[in-house]
Amino acid sequence: MRCEIIIDPTGEERVVVHAKRESELTRAICRLVEERTPQLVGYRNGEIVPLTPAQIICVVVEGDRVFALCETERLQMKQRLYVLEEALGDGFVKINQSCLANVGKVARFDASVSGTLKVKFKNGHVDYVSRRQMKTVKERFGIK
Amino acid sequence: MSKYVKEFLHRGLVFGGFGPIILGVIWAAADPVLTGGELLLGIVSIYLLAFLQAGASVFNQIEGWSIPKSMLCHFVVLYAAYVGCYLVNRWLPFDWRVVAIFTAIFVAVYLAVWLTVFACVKLTSKKLNAKIG
Repeated sequence: MRCEIIIDPTGEERVVVHAKRESELTRAICRLVEERTPQLVGYRNGEIVPLTPAQIICVVVEGDRVFALCETERLQMKQRLYVLEEALGDGFVKINQSCLANVGKVARFDASVSGTLKVKFKNGHVDYVSRRQMKTVKERFGIK
Repeated sequence: MSKYVKEFLHRGLVFGGFGPIILGVIWAAADPVLTGGELLLGIVSIYLLAFLQAGASVFNQIEGWSIPKSMLCHFVVLYAAYVGCYLVNRWLPFDWRVVAIFTAIFVAVYLAVWLTVFACVKLTSKKLNAKIG
């Protein structure tokens, strides 16, 4: 089986295996990916909902509560933002004090009238990059 | 003490000293005849001006503030500090017409700086969008 790794700091992280049939190797790859994928849970009206990083558009802090914004819903998280930042790893970048963005879910950037950078996500949510995080965001997207 | 107040004071104290240094260079070049009181007033007022200008930069980083609020506060603090300092030192006469002209120039320069910052951010957004594809 040929193995190809594409390094793209701005893309969504995923593993795709093309195989003629399921085998020990494909099962091992699946197990490895599952083991290495952070297992998260969100809460929908008190009900526990399993969550993968790929489902999360961004994580936001509202008051003293943390929410994971997904494609169509928002789930409350029990962890603090800095804990999630560590757990979610390189696929996410902190864009301001209260928002952790999934790099692969950013639809576009725009300049705002305040001189800050506005971020529009694929689910329509809009947030902004604080001046403090500007350098980190630029580095994460591979520009100086 | 709020972290932003601390940051305001920290920035003000770090950069406040640059005001009197710049003033000293201008005085050295202009060679004015000053009394001891005028000298002291110049140094103290320009220190305060530099302190406020450096400290006010923190307004743009208060994430709980709306953008117009932070811009307005930044503009008002800068304008009040400059006008106050210039009037106290008599670099501007107490004449409303002169103050009006000064205000117009101040607003124009503030806008020019804002446009420059906006253009830089626009360029950054373009580069980032190119990376997203």
